[in-house]
Amino acid sequence: MERTKAILVDITKCIGCRSCEQACKQVHGFPMETEAKLSPTALTVIEEHDGKFVRKMCMHCQEPACASACLVGALKKTSAGPVTYDAGKCIGCRYCLVACPFSVPRYEWSKLVPYVKKCDMCAARQANGQPPACVEACPTGASTVGWRDEILEEAQRRIMAGGYVKRIYGSEEVGGTSVFFISDVPFEQLGFAAPPQQPMPVLTANALGDVPTVVLVGGGLLSGLYWITQRRQSVALAEGKIAVPRPTDKERS
Amino acid sequence: MTRTMPKFRNTITLWRAIVALIVAAGLYATYARFALGFAKATNLTDPQPWGLWVGLGTLCGVGLSAGGFAIAAAVYLLGFERYRPVLRAAVLVSFLGYSSVIAGMMYELGLPWRIWHPIFMWNRASVLFEVSWCVMLYSTVLALEFSPALVEKIPWAGLRTWYLRWHHEILVGLVMAGVVLSSLHQSFLGGLYLLTKGKLDPLWYSPYLTTLFFLSAIPAGLAITVMALYLSVRSLNVKLDPAILSEVGRVIAPLLALYGIFRVVDLSKNGALPYLWMWREETLSFWLEIGLFVLAPLVLLNLPKVRNNPQSLYWTCATVVGGFMANRLNVSITGLQASSGVYYVPKWTEFAATLMVLTLAVLVFRYAVIYLDILPKKIPPQLRWTAKGAAAEA
Repeated sequence: MERTKAILVDITKCIGCRSCEQACKQVHGFPMETEAKLSPTALTVIEEHDGKFVRKMCMHCQEPACASACLVGALKKTSAGPVTYDAGKCIGCRYCLVACPFSVPRYEWSKLVPYVKKCDMCAARQANGQPPACVEACPTGASTVGWRDEILEEAQRRIMAGGYVKRIYGSEEVGGTSVFFISDVPFEQLGFAAPPQQPMPVLTANALGDVPTVVLVGGGLLSGLYWITQRRQSVALAEGKIAVPRPTDKERS
Repeated sequence: MTRTMPKFRNTITLWRAIVALIVAAGLYATYARFALGFAKATNLTDPQPWGLWVGLGTLCGVGLSAGGFAIAAAVYLLGFERYRPVLRAAVLVSFLGYSSVIAGMMYELGLPWRIWHPIFMWNRASVLFEVSWCVMLYSTVLALEFSPALVEKIPWAGLRTWYLRWHHEILVGLVMAGVVLSSLHQSFLGGLYLLTKGKLDPLWYSPYLTTLFFLSAIPAGLAITVMALYLSVRSLNVKLDPAILSEVGRVIAPLLALYGIFRVVDLSKNGALPYLWMWREETLSFWLEIGLFVLAPLVLLNLPKVRNNPQSLYWTCATVVGGFMANRLNVSITGLQASSGVYYVPKWTEFAATLMVLTLAVLVFRYAVIYLDILPKKIPPQLRWTAKGAAAEA
């Protein structure tokens, strides 16, 4: 498999300066006011929980629920790691908002031509060899970017060195993400979601896999039923049990 | 004739006033949705991105349209000739149901002018993709199934005969395609919510949401067909043997029982039984749903007095439809409330838009029954609208 990029957020190092928020707003050309929650003009925010600063953003799942939900394939997991959004395909059904286990995507409710907004890990910048704007702006190294396997090793190394809860948030959740968090306080106290451990698309894959079976078996079954009905009718007709063939639509009118 | 026509047009009856009011409110809602945007026209938010338009418009609209395929299959594939008199009405109810769902999509989608995108942009991993294709294909099937009712009114005999003969050739194929598409479609609407694992309340989340949606749609679709038939007999000059209504009613009971048993087994398998006795809004909504959809109708349909009295049967079917709607709204709204952290109450404009679409569908049904040969009538239909008919009568 190709190597993909990932972000590590070390909650112990975050000082809540909101440089990441500002940098994000700047590269997207959003108004610079600080916002408390994720919004169409705030794709990453710092939330305070228990005196700790927790950065919210798209988790860039390895097998994203949003990408499996999107009927036109506007949301995609790219081979480089980020989950990107193609506004030109979107029809505005908002199933991605329903599907996301981390409740990340936002919708432009007040616009007349509304689109979905979410972090794309600065996919365009990364393609040019630049780091995501938020990571570049972080003055304490609380957010770092790198190859996913190396980032996971780094997280492991820091946890082993001590002072952390022994868990990398994002390594197991929904089958793994591309944004990881490590913390010295249990994640439950920091308002982290507890999504299923299996990849979300698995939940619908079975149902979708049944389609050819339903079509084939259903079609066969129905043809069989029709044949039996016809046969019984013609037998009844031949035995003189019914006098006339059943009326057709033409004769009805 | 000429003297009575203006009188007919100018009378303001209570029902006409209500319809006018609904349409006026609906038109304002339409203006609000398209000229002012979601934020002004709805109470939808990021934690509650799907509201009344999906819960009532789409989920209930499609579910209640399940009668058409069930009756068509009974008549054409199983040879149950006794249902034939109500076949066209059932297909029309379904067709209008699907048409209202598509009309509702125009409000619900953020970029409705891109509704054709799924035809060319595919994502086979998406349940919604399958749903959109089923809507497209099945609406086409329903339109074709219903088309003879319109075509037989064409004055050119050659064209009429040619079309009806062609239609007769493909009819059984159409019915079979309809059954398969409907089954997939009804199931997949439940399948949409498979991705809400961890968000949807345990009283409604199940790996068998697809089966549950399918099993509940058929009795609900039959119930609304019975309601439509009853109202047609009462107010539209339709002559129908009440025994047919009882026949359809008799089928609803075992279907509801099957659903009830499946639901109980499913709840216990998912470990959701403890939630049945908790004092919460979700649990109350659950009991309302089960009471209306399963318990009350099962008791009522067991009484021959209810089954054989069209009016009692009508109200029992109304209960089934109410319970069904409660179920779909519970899955799409109530069951997701706690995890979303917001308390969503639809804005009046959301109700107004949905109500207008449904009212227009009812109006089309009404005029179709009056002017087309949908159901057997007491007097020939031509008398009501053509001068030739009036002359013939004289």
